[in-house]
Amino acid sequence: MKHREGVPDIDYLYPGHLACPGCGAAIAMKFALKALGPKTMVVLPASCWGIIAGAYPQTGLKVPVMHTAFATAGAAASGLRAALDIKGDTETTVLAWAGDGGTFDIGFQSLSGAAERGEDFIYACYDNEAYMNTGVQRSSSTPYGMRTATTPGTSWKRTRKKNIVEALAAHRIPYAATASIAYPEDMIRKFVRARSVKGGVRFIHILASCPAGWRIPSESAVKVTRLAVLSNLFPLYEVKDGLHYTLNMEGNRPVRPYIRMQGRFSHLTEEEIERIQEMVDSDWALLKEKANCKQISIK
Amino acid sequence: MYEQAMSKIPLLISRSKISTEGHKTGEWRFVTPSFKEKTAPCRATCPVGEDIPRIGMIASRGLIKEAWETIMAENPFPCVCGHVCFHPCETACNRAFLDESVAVHHLERMIGEAGISEGFSASVLKTPSNGKRVAVVGSGPSGLSAAYFLSMLGFSCDLFESKDQPGGILRWGIPAYRLPEWVLQNEILRVEHMGVRIHCNTRITPERIGEIMDNYSALFMGYGHGRSVTMGIPGEEMAADGLDFLLEIRRGNLPAMDGIAAVIGGGNAAIDVSRSLIRLGAKPLIIYRRSLADMPAFSKEVNAALDEGVQIMETAVPVRIEEEDGNLMLRLQKMRAIGKDPEGRSRVVPDDSAPINLCVQHVFTAIGAQSDGILNPKEEGNDRAIPLSHSMFTLSKIPVIYGGDLTNAKRSVSDAIASGKQAAMAIDTYFHHGFDAIRERLNVSRVGDRDPLSMAIYLETDRASRSPKVISYSDINTDYFSNTPRHIPQTIPMLRGELSFMVKEPVFSLKEGVGEASRCFHCGICNDCDNCRIFCPDISVSCVENGRRINLDYCKGCGICVAECPSGVMELEEEQP
Repeated sequence: MKHREGVPDIDYLYPGHLACPGCGAAIAMKFALKALGPKTMVVLPASCWGIIAGAYPQTGLKVPVMHTAFATAGAAASGLRAALDIKGDTETTVLAWAGDGGTFDIGFQSLSGAAERGEDFIYACYDNEAYMNTGVQRSSSTPYGMRTATTPGTSWKRTRKKNIVEALAAHRIPYAATASIAYPEDMIRKFVRARSVKGGVRFIHILASCPAGWRIPSESAVKVTRLAVLSNLFPLYEVKDGLHYTLNMEGNRPVRPYIRMQGRFSHLTEEEIERIQEMVDSDWALLKEKANCKQISIK
Repeated sequence: MYEQAMSKIPLLISRSKISTEGHKTGEWRFVTPSFKEKTAPCRATCPVGEDIPRIGMIASRGLIKEAWETIMAENPFPCVCGHVCFHPCETACNRAFLDESVAVHHLERMIGEAGISEGFSASVLKTPSNGKRVAVVGSGPSGLSAAYFLSMLGFSCDLFESKDQPGGILRWGIPAYRLPEWVLQNEILRVEHMGVRIHCNTRITPERIGEIMDNYSALFMGYGHGRSVTMGIPGEEMAADGLDFLLEIRRGNLPAMDGIAAVIGGGNAAIDVSRSLIRLGAKPLIIYRRSLADMPAFSKEVNAALDEGVQIMETAVPVRIEEEDGNLMLRLQKMRAIGKDPEGRSRVVPDDSAPINLCVQHVFTAIGAQSDGILNPKEEGNDRAIPLSHSMFTLSKIPVIYGGDLTNAKRSVSDAIASGKQAAMAIDTYFHHGFDAIRERLNVSRVGDRDPLSMAIYLETDRASRSPKVISYSDINTDYFSNTPRHIPQTIPMLRGELSFMVKEPVFSLKEGVGEASRCFHCGICNDCDNCRIFCPDISVSCVENGRRINLDYCKGCGICVAECPSGVMELEEEQP
């Protein structure tokens, strides 16, 4: 029996957790904890994961979890880190684990504050692009073109998705990166890297599909995030100290198959898909410019 | 100070004490994933049923000896087949839909050559002796294969050959530029190492058959088609026999030739004769009664011949050969097609034109061969006969099985090997389970629902539980395979005048071979990529001793494991209420 290199064998999730079938957020947590190991404490604000981890007195994780209020992941993680430091425990890694609502919208202030103060923890945002837990309401992470409960029918969202990595990079944090659940080795490497980097908040932005909210069959949950990467719609890259960009791979596929496989975009016309393609192309060109085109390391 | 402060503050943080394992989330499921290895199209098309996806998987890890043993379980001649097989596997290969098919024959040849140069032994595949003796008549590919597999199954074999060296068509009919002698020599030697006794210069007469029936438990007849078919036209005696010509060349007689040599026929023998002629200095012209597309020769061989400068005249038949001023005057009648025959080839009749006279220096016939038979299965009047796909099992005093070209619809080396294997299985089944069990046992030993028989399945050692479903391209998750061109061993550039009897195509280096094996999709077999376990959101796939297991207590039936399986091993089934 061969185990795959670059993917640690031990899992820190218990089966029986309450994620929907095919949940990308569950896969994301699985990879993150594979990378970080048992000496990890997780801070969970309100989000899907607040449910997935199980109701009291149960827990879905083999590492300690602190449930906290929606807006407070950044602040609670700062406090937990300080408490560990007082106890002299510098070995344990604090992982704030929030959804896009808790990161892009409601928790943005506490995250920004912690980043500015240079707090020592990893902040991971598993991004499923809407408030999935409460019934698919739009967030500032919801992409252009998506129908949600609050952008229904012909009122589908017409503004762009907030670029959260750029916002965090602007804080000049030591490490910011994107990751996709379709690329386990890449995601695990980034969490291992984030654990070792010191001197501030390390931020990892994970595209984690939601079969229910994205209106895809559950078995396509991994495939869809792969297509997002392969079409450069969700590029995999790292930013060191907010300045130095490394692109991990370059996709060569159009966005159309990615869009067309999801019910949340089913109303879009070919012209609108073309518009999304243009947005992706210009974003990708801008990113390449930032990376100065020299540091592309395709894996 | 710190402890003091902490002790004074009542901390009322509720702490979870139990895990979520109490939730049997498997109850949510309405579809269930499972592992079920399936059949690869290459293997289902391979006349000898080689486990090509497994060979590809093992070779991609650089385990050449294990890959070789996997071939030897189904085929005693990896290197011979790497050279001469017409590789239908490559035509069936799913990879062709992505970029190009996997170069299976190059890979097989590399593994076969490694087997010879490293001296790998196949005796590990042998089962203990069962004390029974089998006589095999004819040492061509079918006879050698029968003897090899019978030895593997514990029989003691005597192989009788009328010529002075074993090999049959492999030695006398296939020119050295397609199959070097050292390859044949070594692979036959390995059959002998299995315990087969080869008796050369021993022609089996009808009287000897009687002796064999008294002294052996079974008899395999694989003496093939050694006698050329004649055309029945005036002046035929002035034409040379193509098969004799090939035999003389293999004996080392390489006469310098010049002038135009007409070669009558359209099969592989006609191509072999022509390509040999061009190497000796003649200008060969193939004359074939139907059109180029109807030629029974393998198209790869036809193209190679055309590349080398062989000319082909279509739709013409010779009606007379006359001598004229030391040259031969060949009178030809042009033909025209009128519809198709049952095999899909054109039916031809003479057209209305006047015969053409063609002045040539040599005429060779290669229009087919027939058995110079000892016994004919059809004339034997056995009421207990079972016609099988590649052989005929008959029961007289002892079981007599006819195989090879005597029974095969398709006359290829691989089909001859398949014939020997089928005969060995039939004989083994007869002695263990009786006459009536033969059909059924052979039926369950098939690869997929196709004709090829697998010894591994027969012995139920390996993957006997594989589903007969043949994997199609849509079953493959091509996200895991990037466009990679087929590796081609660098062909030594040769000028037309430099054609020789050396094999022209070089063999893969180990690196090229491993690289090419990595292109294989491993259709339908688990390659241990671990995707099913890695991507499972519910920690419900675990490694067990012989593969992986799904914990149905927790599996929610999302199907990600099935979608992310690169090779189509997994399947989803709806839950039964």
